[in-house]
Amino acid sequence: MLSYQEIISTLEMLKNEHLDVRTVTLGINLFDCASHDLGTLQTRIRDKIGRIAEALVPVCDQIGDKYGIPIVNKRIAVSPIAVVCAPLGPDGMVAIARTLDACAREMNVDFIGGFSALVEKGIAAGDRSLITALPEALAETERVCASVNVASTKAGINMDAVLLMGRAIKAAAERTAGRDGLACAKLCVFANIPQDVPFMAGAYLGVGEPDSVINVGVSGPGVVKKAVERALASHPDLDLGQLSDLIKRTACKVTRVGELIGREVAELLEIRFGVVDLSLAPTPNVGDSVGEIFQSLGLLAIGVPGTTAALALLNDAVKKGGAFASSHVGGLSGAFIPVSEDLNISDAAAAGHLSLEKLEAITSVCSVGLDMVALPGDTSAETLSAIIADEMAIGVINKKTTATRLIPVPGKKAGERAHFGGLLGESVIMAVNNGVGPNAFIRLGGLIPAPIQSLTN
Amino acid sequence: MTKVIISVLGKDRPGIVAAVSRVLFERDCNIENVSQTILQTEFAGIFIAGIPAGVTAETLHQGLTAGLADFKMYVQVKPLAENGSPAPPPVAEPFVITTSGPDAKGLVARITAVIARYQVNVTNLQAVFKGGSEPGDNIMIYEVDVPTHIDQQRFRQDLQDQAAALGLRLTIQHRDIFSAMNRI
Repeated sequence: MLSYQEIISTLEMLKNEHLDVRTVTLGINLFDCASHDLGTLQTRIRDKIGRIAEALVPVCDQIGDKYGIPIVNKRIAVSPIAVVCAPLGPDGMVAIARTLDACAREMNVDFIGGFSALVEKGIAAGDRSLITALPEALAETERVCASVNVASTKAGINMDAVLLMGRAIKAAAERTAGRDGLACAKLCVFANIPQDVPFMAGAYLGVGEPDSVINVGVSGPGVVKKAVERALASHPDLDLGQLSDLIKRTACKVTRVGELIGREVAELLEIRFGVVDLSLAPTPNVGDSVGEIFQSLGLLAIGVPGTTAALALLNDAVKKGGAFASSHVGGLSGAFIPVSEDLNISDAAAAGHLSLEKLEAITSVCSVGLDMVALPGDTSAETLSAIIADEMAIGVINKKTTATRLIPVPGKKAGERAHFGGLLGESVIMAVNNGVGPNAFIRLGGLIPAPIQSLTN
Repeated sequence: MTKVIISVLGKDRPGIVAAVSRVLFERDCNIENVSQTILQTEFAGIFIAGIPAGVTAETLHQGLTAGLADFKMYVQVKPLAENGSPAPPPVAEPFVITTSGPDAKGLVARITAVIARYQVNVTNLQAVFKGGSEPGDNIMIYEVDVPTHIDQQRFRQDLQDQAAALGLRLTIQHRDIFSAMNRI
């Protein structure tokens, strides 16, 4: 017999605290579709995605109904296209992006990720074609997401790739100038990219993964915030050790929701279950914000002194709770701080509490990095590359994943607002120090060697 | 050893369970299952006990009535029917239905009428009515076994329609979600 309190607390999390399964992501290996011929490749990709993903959305809807927990996004992640389609040139890569976009529409999924390349140590022909194709591919498609891993703790930072990505981002923004550079919102640059992350825009199916796999991303910033508020309201003398324990236990509950639902979706689709990614992923709604957690912990806003310590506590507690709840926790599992997607963080940036520099500092203890950051349109490609390089260095030295999703908004200056719509939200454009001038350091190129921490064997 | 089922109802106060169990112990009866609850100020207890030869439901009732005289309880004792070979229950899955909303007469009757129409069995019911118009003050929780062969969509829709007609908010969720979140 369930207790009254158990039932009510679960219902509260769902009704008032925005607990949901943020995404079920079906990974599909496309390596067996490889061909020199573009038409053959497209046909094989369409056939394979169609065969495996056909039931994804109906099954997710069915399971969401059964448990009364919405599965907000259904997505597909495929093998890195730069490898699958290595023989193609940039035009061929764009054609493949269109094919993926059409598949996503046909399967009724929100996004399809995997227009990706892994170039942390060097750029192969297919990788170069894909990076060259990025601006057009992202501007001409709606649901295709791209990621490029330019650094790892084992390989170092590929500064040639970093420079190329700065240029690609700039070009992608210009191709979608009428939409505030929207194409860049679908492009992540990574260090130490995980192979199983279910969240976009970074999702792809890693080389070491099975032929198909279900990965689940659970979210719950509202649940954590409410738990902290309730606890402090009834026990104002709680210290940070006790609050960390509270967050850990809350994260555990949330992770178990993801595992239950993910396993059932996988079972019905007869596909292997992969991981739960417990990341506190916000939406641009009040009450569903990571930034609000900082306020519930007593900070004026995210970005003020104390923020880094608070985020370190939060991220660690989330990981500990997730690790206890499931033996298959993967992806990023921590706290996302996407500026435009989180109303509270966006407001903190607009109020001047959060600067780009502080944002970079706190990414050293969070899951992702400079995520959904709108920058002035005149930020140079070299400056974009330099910001990327800084963020990659944090990931490489700290043996963790970091990423950037930077959006230089064409024609707009710092302090103006960029609007991306829907879940991507809107944000004030953040100022960049010395954003316009040349940057000879970045132009030096080459490979920043792997740090001493890489010698672990 | 035959079995009896004993119901004890009345105003709650300390000592009721002790009095019942003492009467049973003195007559060499073995308590096999007990469920008791307190609603507002009222005690309700159900005991299943094995009774030895020579003890009947009638004599046990007399003993309990005497033993509980100070408590002014209502006591009923009846033999427990043998199981025989009942028809196997249909394959079912456990769900939890909750309703919340303003208090009114007939809420439980109307919701359970829908549940019964689909041959769905209520295995546990908790209702907390404080009588106010605040949804959070008036909550009913039905744990039910939903046969897998029924039209689940129609069942859900009929429940939602009935709830809407009564001004209630209704959710129906598989029981596993509550277990997964709360029990480790």
